[in-house]
Amino acid sequence: MSVPDTVGPQVTEPGVQRAAASDRAAARPPDLPRRMNSGQRRKLRTGLLFISPWIIGVVVFILYPVIYSISLSFTRYSGMEAPTWVGIQNYVTAVTDPLVAKAASNTIFYAIIAVPLGLIVALSLAIAMNQNVREVALYRTIFYAPSLIPAFAMSFIFIVFLNPQFGVFNQVLNLFGGANVNLLGDPTGVKIAIILMAQLGAGNAALIFLAGLRNVPRTVYEAARVDGAGPIRQFFSITFPLLTPVLLFNLITGVSGALQVFTEAFIVTNGTGDPDAGALFYMMYLYKNAFGFAELGYASALAVLLFLAGLALALLIFWLSRRFVNYDVEAG
Amino acid sequence: MIDRRHLLQGTGLAAVAALGGGACARTPDSDASTVRYWGMGAAVKDKDEAVKAAFLATDAGRGVEIHIDQVPSSGAADMSQIITAVRGGTAPDLWWMDRFNAVLNASIGLLEPLDDLIEEYEGVSVEEFTSQWLQFAIDELTYEGSVYGLPTSTDARGLLCNQDVLQGAGEEFPFSRVDAFYATYQPPNAPPSRIALFSQRLAITATGPWQNSGNRKYAPDLPLTWTWLPVAEEGDPTYTWSGGFSLVMPKGSSMSKAAWDFMTFHTGLDGQRSYVPELGSLPTHLHAIEEKAYDPTAELFRQMLPGSTSRPPLPVGSVASDAMDRAKTSVALGSKTPQQVLEETQAMVVPKMDLFPGFRMPETYGERQEIEAA
Repeated sequence: MSVPDTVGPQVTEPGVQRAAASDRAAARPPDLPRRMNSGQRRKLRTGLLFISPWIIGVVVFILYPVIYSISLSFTRYSGMEAPTWVGIQNYVTAVTDPLVAKAASNTIFYAIIAVPLGLIVALSLAIAMNQNVREVALYRTIFYAPSLIPAFAMSFIFIVFLNPQFGVFNQVLNLFGGANVNLLGDPTGVKIAIILMAQLGAGNAALIFLAGLRNVPRTVYEAARVDGAGPIRQFFSITFPLLTPVLLFNLITGVSGALQVFTEAFIVTNGTGDPDAGALFYMMYLYKNAFGFAELGYASALAVLLFLAGLALALLIFWLSRRFVNYDVEAG
Repeated sequence: MIDRRHLLQGTGLAAVAALGGGACARTPDSDASTVRYWGMGAAVKDKDEAVKAAFLATDAGRGVEIHIDQVPSSGAADMSQIITAVRGGTAPDLWWMDRFNAVLNASIGLLEPLDDLIEEYEGVSVEEFTSQWLQFAIDELTYEGSVYGLPTSTDARGLLCNQDVLQGAGEEFPFSRVDAFYATYQPPNAPPSRIALFSQRLAITATGPWQNSGNRKYAPDLPLTWTWLPVAEEGDPTYTWSGGFSLVMPKGSSMSKAAWDFMTFHTGLDGQRSYVPELGSLPTHLHAIEEKAYDPTAELFRQMLPGSTSRPPLPVGSVASDAMDRAKTSVALGSKTPQQVLEETQAMVVPKMDLFPGFRMPETYGERQEIEAA
């Protein structure tokens, strides 16, 4: 722990004391931790007390459930009687369960389309929100407002919106001579509908992009303009590279959210994941096993596999980020 | 201005108070004359109040206190609320439960067997006592020879036909478009007034007596008539299936005399009289059936009961039902053949059934039961 040398007991000759402490610090090997004095310990205790609600929350609601879930994944457990140890049987079952493969492929399909599309939509919204016009506050409110609609409410809106008989979506298609499309009745269509629905929640990522945009130093743009760079060149040579740290954050959270897609699919398909398991996402199948079939051990194994997949993806993204994330310019 | 020390002390005290408050939250009443009951649902809570009032007016109900909670479930087979309550020591004494989940719930130890209570309080054998109700409803509540609940309401499936649409029909409708048809005219979560039947898109649908109230409310002028499910050959015995509800005692129930008395009243003749006609379903108590204690529009379904049975009461019933539902949509979409989906369903269910070696359904499952009519 690095502590300023000026922190210490009160002495009558502070200058002499400071010099002596400085000599001792110079003589001590740099890697050995320093013993804390009583003031430092008091400050540490105070600090820990201040963050104790967070510590308790993490330990009780995250750490303990994660460890408990990992241990349950090696058992057969209904939630009632004592868990029975089954070794890696749940993992073997998960690998051979055709619905796990189906749910995983549905989730990957969703993530591959929804995450990049979400980033593009969010970045576009952020650029629109960043325009230097008088009524920009109104535009920001309008663009962000759909993100405030809860997922379950949005799902019901989409069910009506996409209805092939009386939905607005098909009526607009008809206006342009298009035939009715029945997205919710098709295994691929229902996934696309849920992907489209997710884009209405892009406002949160857009706000983060907006903060990133506001942090790009204006002087860089001015220099580029002097050099004759147009808006498109400025975007690809300045804005986008300097937004990559924000892009990385939104990418990680987007992938994490995509792996856990649940609410929209659950409501749109009435909890079934049909038609033809087309919207049976991984979390839905996990939920069914845990609370519908009372197979908490198997559901825990599915949760551990999801955790490992998410961790692997996050590590992969971080590794790749060394190639595309630019930390060169600090906010100006 | 408050200093840091006092702020911390105040925060600590508040946390302790919150934890203490949580610990002192509502805990089960230990009083043997108090019955905690998880009811039929918020939408029909007046039925619960009616049967409660009727019970409290009896000799057995004198001095008994009944607390009714309506605990919504997020799915037909979602047991998270009841498992949490049981594990948390706040289980109700009685729970209105879908009978279909009984064997699964009994197999995981969520329910208490009632055999001892029957012998202690009724003084007769389990077989004699349960013979008051429809056999298939009792079978659905039986696991490994023990009875885990008493049935309340039931139903049956028939065909509801729109005469106008039938007479106007002339085009053969390919089965592979059935799913697309329903997704178009009756998507998931469609409002009850906008189902394909009421919009005159559908000529025939298989449904049950609960549909009658919707017919009266949303389509009183449509020429709708009920008929039996078809049989393979003329003269074959009729066949249908029935679902319904029950009262059970979850683990942690007081299993008190008061709880038992309310349970037997609720599921008995007087109890079923008070709510079954209002629910639009059929009674399971044979005397209630005999005296026609149901909505007159459900008469055809009453006639179907001798040839009816429940879905197979299996400890993996939810898995099997889920797989069969999916199989149906796969065939309707034409993505798989019936043979393929049945093989897949079998492959999914059998390994889970293997975890219950020696399991046998009740011997009476699927047998016809003659029912006295008034």
